Amino acid sequence: MLTKKQKRINIILVIIMIVMSLFFLFPVIWMLANSFKTDAAITRDMNSLAAFIPPALNGSFFDNYITILTNTSFLRYMANTLLYAAVLIVLGIIVNGLAGYALAKINFPFKERWLLIIMLLMIVPMETIITIHFLFIAKLGLLNNIIGYVLPMIVNPFNIFLFRQVFVSLPDDVYEAAQLDFCSPVKYFFTMVLPMSKSVVATVSVFTFLNVWNDYLWPSLVFTSSDLLTAQIGLNAITSNDNTTMGQTLAVITLVTIPVIIIYALFSKQIVEGVVSTGSKEG
Amino acid sequence: MGMAFFGPALILLTLFLFLSMILTLVFSFTDFFALNPSLTHFTWLDNYFQVFKDDDFRQAFANTVKFVIIIVPLQGLGALGLAILINKVTYCKAYFKVAFFIPVVMSLAVVSTLWVQIYSPEGILNSILAHIGINAQPFINSADQALPSIAIMSAWQGVGYQMLIFLGGLQQINPALYEAAEMDHASSWQKFKDITLPELKPLCIFVLITITIGAFRMLVQPMVMTGGGPSHSTYTMVYDIYETGTVNWEIGLASTMAIVFAFFVMILTVIQTILTKDKEGKKHVNKKAKTN
Amino acid sequence: MSFIELKKVCKQYPGTDKKAVTDFDLEINEKEFIAFVGPSGCGKSTTLRMIAGFEEITSGDLYIDGKRMNEVAPRDRGISMVFQNYALYPHMTVEKNIGYGLKNMKVPADEIKKKVDWAIDILGLEEYRNRKPKNLSGGQRQRVALGRAIVKDQKVFLMDEPLSNLDAKLRVSMRNEISKLHRSLGSTTIYVTHDQVEAMTMADRIVIMKAGVVQQVGKPMELYEKPVNKFVAGFIGSPQMNFYDVSIEDGQIVFSDGNRLTMKPEITEKLKKHGKRMTLGIRGEDIKFDPQNLDIYKENKMQAVVDNTEIMGNENNLYFEFGGAVSIARVSKYELCKVGDKMEFVFVPHRMHFFDIDTEEAIEL
Repeated sequence: MLTKKQKRINIILVIIMIVMSLFFLFPVIWMLANSFKTDAAITRDMNSLAAFIPPALNGSFFDNYITILTNTSFLRYMANTLLYAAVLIVLGIIVNGLAGYALAKINFPFKERWLLIIMLLMIVPMETIITIHFLFIAKLGLLNNIIGYVLPMIVNPFNIFLFRQVFVSLPDDVYEAAQLDFCSPVKYFFTMVLPMSKSVVATVSVFTFLNVWNDYLWPSLVFTSSDLLTAQIGLNAITSNDNTTMGQTLAVITLVTIPVIIIYALFSKQIVEGVVSTGSKEG
Repeated sequence: MGMAFFGPALILLTLFLFLSMILTLVFSFTDFFALNPSLTHFTWLDNYFQVFKDDDFRQAFANTVKFVIIIVPLQGLGALGLAILINKVTYCKAYFKVAFFIPVVMSLAVVSTLWVQIYSPEGILNSILAHIGINAQPFINSADQALPSIAIMSAWQGVGYQMLIFLGGLQQINPALYEAAEMDHASSWQKFKDITLPELKPLCIFVLITITIGAFRMLVQPMVMTGGGPSHSTYTMVYDIYETGTVNWEIGLASTMAIVFAFFVMILTVIQTILTKDKEGKKHVNKKAKTN
Repeated sequence: MSFIELKKVCKQYPGTDKKAVTDFDLEINEKEFIAFVGPSGCGKSTTLRMIAGFEEITSGDLYIDGKRMNEVAPRDRGISMVFQNYALYPHMTVEKNIGYGLKNMKVPADEIKKKVDWAIDILGLEEYRNRKPKNLSGGQRQRVALGRAIVKDQKVFLMDEPLSNLDAKLRVSMRNEISKLHRSLGSTTIYVTHDQVEAMTMADRIVIMKAGVVQQVGKPMELYEKPVNKFVAGFIGSPQMNFYDVSIEDGQIVFSDGNRLTMKPEITEKLKKHGKRMTLGIRGEDIKFDPQNLDIYKENKMQAVVDNTEIMGNENNLYFEFGGAVSIARVSKYELCKVGDKMEFVFVPHRMHFFDIDTEEAIEL
């Protein structure tokens, strides 16, 4: 129950926070508004409130976006990234999921030891060994090759651990029942374990996607051929081109963000749970 | 059977983690130059002495420390403040959560590209400043302002993430505590100081160390915005590792830097884990108390 | 030739010094319904899981249909199993759950459909066939688990406390259904339960276990009438058999509260051979209040005050203090008395059981 006075304070607080949020978001609002303008219009509006207002809807409203989509390899970069993410999601779930399942449910030599090692590996920052990865991939002749990009990223101690934590609580009797139903262990993993653990599969998939989508250093090392660039690297290639206008730059970065926004909208539950749980589990 | 399931991961772990880690450590004691591997010798600790004497690396480390000093209070307090306010309001809660989370959704490369425009001399930020009577600032174009500018931008980008963590923590505080405090005539400030802060303390430590680790790992922002300049004022350790190893091919020296870098980050992670354990115990007790 | 044979089967978990199951010997005939019963932790589930192949047999041999099965994988033992927590595949519909095994056995689709329809029909699951387990009640899940076991035409049925998660009323009706199912399918069934009522009502023979050791194997009535030791006597039957510490003095049985029973001399002589002190056991229904019995055994009439009654209608329990122990007598509605009533009763002499005070073995009379 709120008293009248508390209610009034609350409304004032909300108003203050709305203003705060608008100030906070001014770069984003500016980006969206000006991504539809010509450079001349951007410069003209810079000193007035018009800087935060999109231009009138006319025939040339989407020009920046159309230029980006038709005159640059932007769509290609997007498709590349989606492909890499899809490959990594599938391979990552298989490799890390199988390992997590082994650590959770199957007895094999030094199992407990391995679990400890996996947990220790989680604290190693990837930047430490990225030079060696680069050397490996270069020596294997896999630069500018999707295999070279994907290979070092498949195994992920954190995902192994995540899978293990979920799989460990799966009931054993379902596995026993499946055995009596002539289901092989491998088949059991793919047709039972994964469907029974949809939520962790979704979480791992989403985070793998975001990881690939936002990754910068590794793809910038592996890919130099412009046919293979990821969206983030391609974005840099497009914006550093002298022919790209400021409005087009803003259009590109808006476009690059759209898939991520879709992912967040679709999987906000998993993501928020993931974020909050990193705090409550580790914090 | 277990090995068949664990095998694929084990092979990849061996290649891309164990072997890579061992090689990094071994190379850190050599003068391995990837363009001329035949000339490699063990130089033992030479690289380590060199790294600590190296102006670029020392500057990178100093930059990291400076960056931490700016961003940790900014992003940490910002996140805590936002979480408390959002937890308090009764209207538009969902909107605020989304609004302050939007920059998190945008990648570092996107945010950096955007803020290059925002920070540009004739950019929107200077134009806003002009309206409130502040002279145009050089921001990322000056050695003095570049690092704080990137820090502010990074805090802006990341604050929503920690805000969500704090919100999760706030929602786990037992409301009966506040009701009890109300019966004890506690003021709002006393409730905050005596209930909210102590309850959130472990989370605060977690968040502060997470931000610090993020600062140590910084690379994309200077890479996109300043190229490490002006005059190395935004150079970072990872940037140095990257340039030394993959641009100049001095794998030996880069490995040494990587080991030094890993040393700092892993110490931070270990501290975080130790402080975490304590909290986990406490949480367990809380849970027990609740079920009783 | 018996269909399933266990020879000196033992189970010892690594790192423990006590065996979970010791020298389990049993021969099970084809089509027999066997119940393993005992308190929790007695090794009954472990034994079942060794027969299924989910637990390794530490020593001893297991034969099914003449073949040694110790090293055979569970799926190749010709068994199907119903699990305590049903173990249904959560993301599959009822129909898919039941047909899953057949599908993996590469049975043609039309035949699978026929069998699944048959199972769904006899289990009354028609309206639930497209539901997933989480949308079913406990009893319905239990039926699906049964359906999954019966469609595969395996010769051996293993059931691990299948009714323990159901409420009392449902348990009674499922008990009945499983019995009928067993009769119509004729598969050899091993049924594990901690509930002696289930074992008594359903099984052809009962194996009663305690601390990993088989105590007695026999038909339900055999266990009830001729328990080989105090444990079996106490475990089978509800309310529990009344036990009294007694001694033999001057050819009479003397209770700790001084009450005495006169017995035939040949019986006291036999009892004396086992020492002066022993345990006397008598079931509640063998404590008689009716004038006829009181008249027949009038030399041994005893008295006590009823201190509590449990009235169920058809059968009623009277609690009273006697012979240094709380005693329970089971009476019909015609003999019911009130709390505080003083009453006379007799123990029917040939219904008394005697157990050695140290070994707890039954004394043969």
